[in-house]
Amino acid sequence: MDQQIWGVFMNVLELKNISKRYGAIQALDSVSLAIAPGEVVGLMGDNGAGKSTLVKVIAGNFAPTSGDILISDKKVAFNKPLDAQKAGIEVVYQDLAICNNLSAASNVFLGREPTRRIGPIKVVDYAFMRSKSAELFARLKSETRPRDLVHKMSGGQRQAVAIARTLLSDAKIVLMDEPTAAISVRQVAEVLNLIRQLSDQGIAVVLISHRMPDVFEVADKVVVLRRGELVADKKASQSSPEEITGLITGAIEHA
Amino acid sequence: MQKKDIGLGILIIVVGAIVYMRNPLFLSPINLGNTANLIGLFGLFAIGQGFVIMTGGIDLSVGSVIALLGVLFVDMVGKFGVPWPLAVAIIIGLGVLIGLAHGILITRFRLQPFVVTLCGLLIYRGIARGYTAESTAGFPFGSSYPQLEWLTIGRSFGVPHSFVAMLIVAAVMWVVLHHTVFGRHLCAVGKNEEAARFSGINTRFVTVMAYVICAVLASIAAIYFAMFTKSVQPSSHGNFYELYAIAAAVLGGCSLRGGEGSVIGIVLGAVLLQELQNLVNLLGIPSSLNFAVMGAVILLGVLADQQFAAYRTRKNTERALGLLQKP
Repeated sequence: MDQQIWGVFMNVLELKNISKRYGAIQALDSVSLAIAPGEVVGLMGDNGAGKSTLVKVIAGNFAPTSGDILISDKKVAFNKPLDAQKAGIEVVYQDLAICNNLSAASNVFLGREPTRRIGPIKVVDYAFMRSKSAELFARLKSETRPRDLVHKMSGGQRQAVAIARTLLSDAKIVLMDEPTAAISVRQVAEVLNLIRQLSDQGIAVVLISHRMPDVFEVADKVVVLRRGELVADKKASQSSPEEITGLITGAIEHA
Repeated sequence: MQKKDIGLGILIIVVGAIVYMRNPLFLSPINLGNTANLIGLFGLFAIGQGFVIMTGGIDLSVGSVIALLGVLFVDMVGKFGVPWPLAVAIIIGLGVLIGLAHGILITRFRLQPFVVTLCGLLIYRGIARGYTAESTAGFPFGSSYPQLEWLTIGRSFGVPHSFVAMLIVAAVMWVVLHHTVFGRHLCAVGKNEEAARFSGINTRFVTVMAYVICAVLASIAAIYFAMFTKSVQPSSHGNFYELYAIAAAVLGGCSLRGGEGSVIGIVLGAVLLQELQNLVNLLGIPSSLNFAVMGAVILLGVLADQQFAAYRTRKNTERALGLLQKP
């Protein structure tokens, strides 16, 4: 992607003092974060640290109690996930929202099938679906074939299908929830490659993961949440797995 | 056509050939015409059942719907002199309402399809018997409705129009299932409703529509059955028909776990069921054994299908391993 075009915006996503309260529980406490186009951000934290809450706020599942979300320097308010999707935010869910009984192409287009008219009726344009998804898989440098049924695929290929879905909508930011949690070592490498491909095309990726090596392998920036507070926001190259572990557990207060 | 459909087609031909060798009357025009009529009648609502099964649900009320709407249709046309096109529209309208009721109870109130439609089975049958006070509803003596009769029990070149109607419905539903967005969504909802919802599919709408399609096809079948039997006995008309429909759909490759199935398969399933009925008659097997023969063949068919699938998977795995081991 042309850096000049992306250079117009400083940040593709900016969070300003985002707080989220559930009754007496402060799930997020004044979190501020900026993500540049094509940046890969590793979002880390222990269970219950607020990672999922933060992702759900960004994805429009629910509104923050206070604070602002800016997309490409414009303030936005999401009332439902579709609003976030329209603004260019896509989520790849942990348990992959794909249907095993359908082909890869059908899954890529699930919920937004292209149609063409034959007389008065609209029929699904299978040829376009196959050629377009083949193109998307090629962009991701994945060997997934559009006609293959998903239940015959490896975990890595399933991730490719789920990620291709995000390319279809010209996403600016892709949120990935534990994409490497339940797959083999070889497939992890495949998925990390997919993340690099997204980044190369100017798409920012927020990678939520427990797996330290995966995060340090691809992330430009590591962000740590602890008890709803953002305790670290630094370049991966200037940090280390040891430091991040300390930040997650609280052995190190701030970075 | 899927592999399963081809297998089923071969089974139909093999069974047919065996029956023909034992009794050549099998291929006589009269027998073929009668069997085609029954295939048409049963195929009509089996297709609807298949759609419901593809969503991972089930509709047990089909037989009772056929009885209740059959009684109402005969009474409207025969007793109250309602013009038949209006009566047909009312019956199909009632079918839409029944389907909507099932679908809304299942999606909005989160009741299980089995429970909802089991209650439907009891309620519609009960209403049919209560409304007629157990007496048979029939057309008045000597009455005739030439156009309606031509459409339902008429024949062109020996082909019964019920069979033609079933073929038209099958063609339409084939396009709907395999070539429209709704069909794609139906398969997705049946297999993984959550994924479908995350993809922005209105899963409730898709599920409700499947039940509406099923009830509407059952209401059309109700008219055809009422015209075929000419009188409707409210306690026995349509008994067990839901099970014929489920059997046809399952034989035709619909998985009760949802997400799988083809219209061609369902039609072939209906063909095989009627062929088996016919077999019992033609081979002089006591008709009391009818259900036993049908049950045995379905069981064997499903078992064989399962075994073939397992065999194919094993062969494929071996071949893939063989390729890997080669230097």
